[in-house]
Amino acid sequence: MIIRPLRTALLAGTALVVATAAHAQDYTITVWAGGSNDNDIYRISAIEMAADILEREMAILGEEISITVDGRYSFASWDDFKQSVTLAAEAGTGPNIVVTSHGDIAPWAQAGIIRPIEDYIDLDSWPVTDIYPNLMEISSFEGVQWGLPQDAESRPFFFWIPHLQAIGYTAEQIEALPAAVEAGEYTLYDVLEDAAAIQEAGLVEPGLGFYPRVSNGPDYWQFYLSFGGEIQDPETGHLVLDTEAMTGFYQFFADAVDAGVTRQAHIGTPWDQWYAEVASGVAGLWHGGTWHYARYTGREGLEDFFGNVQFTLIPAGAEGVGRPNTVTHPLVYLLTSTGDEDTAFIAAELIKIASEPRINSLHAIKSAHLAIAQSQSEIDLYRGDRWAREATERLLPHASAMPNHVRFGEYWDLMWGGLESVWSGQKSAEEAVADLELAVVNALGDDIIVR
Amino acid sequence: MTRQAWLGFGFLAPATLFIVAFFLAPVVMTGFFAFTNMSTATGITGGTYRITEGVISRLAGSEAVPAALIEALGRQQSVVDAAGLTVLAEGDFDAAFVAELEEELGGRTFASQRDLEGAIRDLDNRPRRVRDIKAAAELFERSVLNVDFATETALTEAIRAYAGPVPDAAMSVLTRAAYTGWSMTTDNFSRLFNSPELGTVAVNTVFYIFTTLALFNTGFALVLAITTFYLPGRQASFFRTVWLLPRISPPVLYVLLWKWLAWDTGFLNAILEPLGVAGRNWMFDSEASAWTFVILINGFVGASMGMIILSSAIRAIPQPILYASAVDGAGRLQQIRHIILPHLRWPLLFITSYQTLSLLTSFEYILLSTDGGPGSTTEVWALAAYHTALRNYAGNLQYGYGAAMALVLVAFGIAMSFVYLRLFNFRTLVTRPRIEQ
Repeated sequence: MIIRPLRTALLAGTALVVATAAHAQDYTITVWAGGSNDNDIYRISAIEMAADILEREMAILGEEISITVDGRYSFASWDDFKQSVTLAAEAGTGPNIVVTSHGDIAPWAQAGIIRPIEDYIDLDSWPVTDIYPNLMEISSFEGVQWGLPQDAESRPFFFWIPHLQAIGYTAEQIEALPAAVEAGEYTLYDVLEDAAAIQEAGLVEPGLGFYPRVSNGPDYWQFYLSFGGEIQDPETGHLVLDTEAMTGFYQFFADAVDAGVTRQAHIGTPWDQWYAEVASGVAGLWHGGTWHYARYTGREGLEDFFGNVQFTLIPAGAEGVGRPNTVTHPLVYLLTSTGDEDTAFIAAELIKIASEPRINSLHAIKSAHLAIAQSQSEIDLYRGDRWAREATERLLPHASAMPNHVRFGEYWDLMWGGLESVWSGQKSAEEAVADLELAVVNALGDDIIVR
Repeated sequence: MTRQAWLGFGFLAPATLFIVAFFLAPVVMTGFFAFTNMSTATGITGGTYRITEGVISRLAGSEAVPAALIEALGRQQSVVDAAGLTVLAEGDFDAAFVAELEEELGGRTFASQRDLEGAIRDLDNRPRRVRDIKAAAELFERSVLNVDFATETALTEAIRAYAGPVPDAAMSVLTRAAYTGWSMTTDNFSRLFNSPELGTVAVNTVFYIFTTLALFNTGFALVLAITTFYLPGRQASFFRTVWLLPRISPPVLYVLLWKWLAWDTGFLNAILEPLGVAGRNWMFDSEASAWTFVILINGFVGASMGMIILSSAIRAIPQPILYASAVDGAGRLQQIRHIILPHLRWPLLFITSYQTLSLLTSFEYILLSTDGGPGSTTEVWALAAYHTALRNYAGNLQYGYGAAMALVLVAFGIAMSFVYLRLFNFRTLVTRPRIEQ
């Protein structure tokens, strides 16, 4: 999607590059990765490896190029990262490549912050053809392929096995838990019951029986889905607020606080403290992401993960209500509008090479994410990893993605505000949903359907 | 104008420039942004014109634009026509490739550029690099779907070239739907006044300002100023210095100390746990505890400024009055009640109004400590404006709506200034001394 008057100039430029091929070219490609820590270093290293390969390929074609990759992943939070990217883009000082949530594609595409990768690479070539089609779909918006998936993941529910055993679960029952959740037999209200039992047995402190995520995140939409919610109407593409599902979701967290298994002051707990607690049995039941495996077994020193932790889908809301589910929230490599066409072609090529199965598997295993391409399950590094294998089998077939919609962020903010008000006891679930309904209609108008 | 007057202007010029650049311009811009639907998606500098699938689906069923036109615009089309071949031949492409393309693909129509690229890839003399294949294929794109146009004219010309004549009314509906930038609107204000959550934020703001003001920024400042006035000089300076520390510490460090105090594993719990109090994060424990921390954190900083101004105002009271009152048998409390407080009316007005405005707009300490939580219990108006305009988990910052919220703050601040002037009877305070009349 190139501005048309520029196209002719571009064509001339291309020819010029071919003509002066013997002349060495220097490129600096900046990569900013959001939501990353040391385990996610391959989001940037993969681009560096790709640069090496591309330099060699170009040398064979008779073009000497030198690529410097300048990576940055030290952002305090997702909010900070997105603020940095959008403001830098307005100022024209943004990076060339961003690794971010697929949810950003819609607003950033409209804003012209990013360029469609389909204008720069051949989508009918390997490794793009090897990438799971649903992930390709998630990285596109309005029929245009904007980016390539960088990783896949899903968000399981976790149980601390010794605590389950202590409240009377047999080894067989624990083994059968994933199937029970998948069948809708074990629900979120069973979670509250077990959490209460674990607390009553004195295994964890009050308020740590059910220990949810400590900050806003896609995870919370899962509980809306658990109660039968739908985020986007597949036919019209409009966002959807299902008031009954939303009430069920809010009420569940109100009930968790009322039952004393979740603290009223839980949101805002420092992440480091939370990770240390869930990885050591200080908490009973919790939910997280597939990448938590790397943190628990790495920095938190949990040696026997499979002996201590059971994982399942997020259970359905209650018997006969909603469905068990998990949200996958893949990150994507996006090509920004920063820099000239020439640099964009180089950056796009780097993204493509970095998506090759072998290189992507380094990230998948190092950071405990899931594969983006079919053939990764045939690579020894990936195939040999028990977590990757089991998480892929158990979770990924049930995973749904969040919508790519320009105004989803506004809806999300309001949903989160409502949840916080219920959680902190300011409002009842019904009041919060009534206010949310007013607020979303007020803010989004025709873009949202209220059911 | 006299030379002296010019000199005066000269001296004021740098300050004036700063005020214009860093105060007036931002206020004017906020006022302007408030009447737009500006967001990350629309950009700040303006948009381009682009027909996308989204635009097509929004236009479906529109009366102004003929259905056939909408359908045609929603299709992608590449035609290997003579015009395209001529441009191709003029470019730096290999002659054998141009000839083969004309022979094999000439006159054919493709449903997308990707299909054409696929066909080019199968030619014997295809360019080696993907980039050159794309450059060649682009010359034959005849549809407008997903093409970015810098101006409205460029879009209308392209639509007419592709779809033939289009009535002006339909064209204007099309270009408006295709525009990706922002437009002027008053929706922000109707949204603002209908928003249930902003009512709570407004109540929070009033509570925060008046509690902090009454307890610390004027109340405690006054207590500090009076008590240190009656202390011996050295001790007085020591206490004043101690109370200045919160103000001179970097905010991030200062708030971090409070966090260490309040955290689950922090100092407060270390002391309380042996006494049987269950550990908790005091900053987020309940609405009351969150507010206590927010008010203490801000109050400790705010109190020092009032203390300094009031201290110097007390010192400015002519000593003979105090001596005379002592001779007449007045105690400390009577001195405070009848001499000191009446003399502090003007500085108190200043501190109250200045600190009201300052508390109204400053939110950094709340941002750093509770960030408006737990829930949105400590979300004040300025912080909510910041969150709206500059924070969004899904990457779409609401500049326009955030600016509208900020504008309300400006209006409220101005209104409060007038209320204070009235309340403290400003006119009598600034009456010229009779001796000068």
